[in-house]
Amino acid sequence: MKKSKEEQIRLLVSTHSFPPLEVVIPILENAGRGEKELSNQLHDTDVFLANGLKEILGLKDKNMRAVAKIFGVLLGSHGQRFEPVELSESRFSLTVSDCPMMHVGKNVSTSVRSKYCDLVCSAGSKAIAETILGQESVCAWDKALIKGAGKCKVVFTLGRKNESH
Amino acid sequence: MNHTKKTLLLLSILLLGGILAFILFLSNATRSMNYGDMRTVLTTTTATFGSLLGIITAGLMFTHGRFSELASELGEKAPSYLSETLSLEKVQHLGTRLLALRKAFLQLQKETTVAEEKNLYGKIEEGVSSIFVDFVVLLNTKLQQQGLRTPDFMVSEMEPSLYAKYREKRKVIKKEWQVTELIKRMVDAWEGSTSFFAERSETRTSLQSDLRSSVTILKLREKMDTDSKNIATEVSQVLEEVGTEVSKIGKMLHHDRIPQMLSQMNHASTIRGKYFYLALVFIATPLFVNLMILPQLSEGTTQFFQPIISATSSLSVMGILFLLLYIHEILNV
Repeated sequence: MKKSKEEQIRLLVSTHSFPPLEVVIPILENAGRGEKELSNQLHDTDVFLANGLKEILGLKDKNMRAVAKIFGVLLGSHGQRFEPVELSESRFSLTVSDCPMMHVGKNVSTSVRSKYCDLVCSAGSKAIAETILGQESVCAWDKALIKGAGKCKVVFTLGRKNESH
Repeated sequence: MNHTKKTLLLLSILLLGGILAFILFLSNATRSMNYGDMRTVLTTTTATFGSLLGIITAGLMFTHGRFSELASELGEKAPSYLSETLSLEKVQHLGTRLLALRKAFLQLQKETTVAEEKNLYGKIEEGVSSIFVDFVVLLNTKLQQQGLRTPDFMVSEMEPSLYAKYREKRKVIKKEWQVTELIKRMVDAWEGSTSFFAERSETRTSLQSDLRSSVTILKLREKMDTDSKNIATEVSQVLEEVGTEVSKIGKMLHHDRIPQMLSQMNHASTIRGKYFYLALVFIATPLFVNLMILPQLSEGTTQFFQPIISATSSLSVMGILFLLLYIHEILNV
């Protein structure tokens, strides 16, 4: 029997999970290495998920609307809370009010969190840019959430880095 | 509303009722009353308590009826779950895989020095043990239903700690419907609660998701350190095998509306227990006191009985508040 789209998404998301940051960060910090391996693993998982979702949802367009759709499903499936802010032809942004980095132990310093936040977000945004947009894009996040601001803003912009700012 | 919030609401309503009753008691006790007034108060409050007790008893009978109805419906379904989903070969195979997994995670737990990782492996070991015990309990219950006297399959392979859990879980199953409760608990422990109404704050992760997390960590460790044991593949296989079986059972449970029925039974059981005893304390006790006083009340004993009558009549305020709560609970069954 053919599985419904919802069932396919559930299966895809549940079989390709991310390592829990609250456990992985202390392991890597303890070992003093492994960041590159983690980054690769996250990137591979994100690529797999984005490709899978693209296929299940039948997304053919390479635009910001498709990015928004995939990003929303990915964030929601990992229990993250977010609010959309802007969606245009060249820009997509949202605010995240809860993310896995918030659940990392209190003994992990802000600088370490910040380092892994860059690692996780860059792996994810790179994967989405590669699989969905297939063109130059820039993703920026302000890390305000881990600094205690309550919300973090994520912005996807089409174009090269120096063009977007 | 979760359990703590419900208990707090119940306590605050009872406290409010208590304060109101106390204020009424103080105002009545200090005022002198004549024999006629006292007799009227006593008769009225006795009648009020009598009516309240009648309504609560009717509610209790309704709840008990519903409980029995649900219990018999679930009891009828239990054998089909046992015969269709848990064959001896299947449980033996899964049991062996789960025991091997448990051993592997115990070893990993011993080897790791990172507290967070140790906690995760400890949680997995606990969950795997629990699921293994559940499977064995269900298998032996099924064999017993099929006529085998005191079957204890796979029990000899257990460590004392697992055996203690096994004995405890077997002891709990006294009625057939409790088999479905055990199956539901097992599915929830594996898959996590999939209820639409599950609160977002419920943060306890399921065994399935803990195992998936462990696979990602073990894979990362294997990449970082080529000497580390290659058990991520083995864990993934067990995850897949057990997941397939548990998911089949879970789908059947949802199809048959077992989780909803069990939740209704739990609710009915609470009303039968906690609420009935509260009814006895707040309604039946003052009613009994009033019935004892009524024949003794005369012109001469008015002074003596006035404080008691004031107290019991004030309690009828609490009784009415309590009745409203009780009706609210019954409507949710």
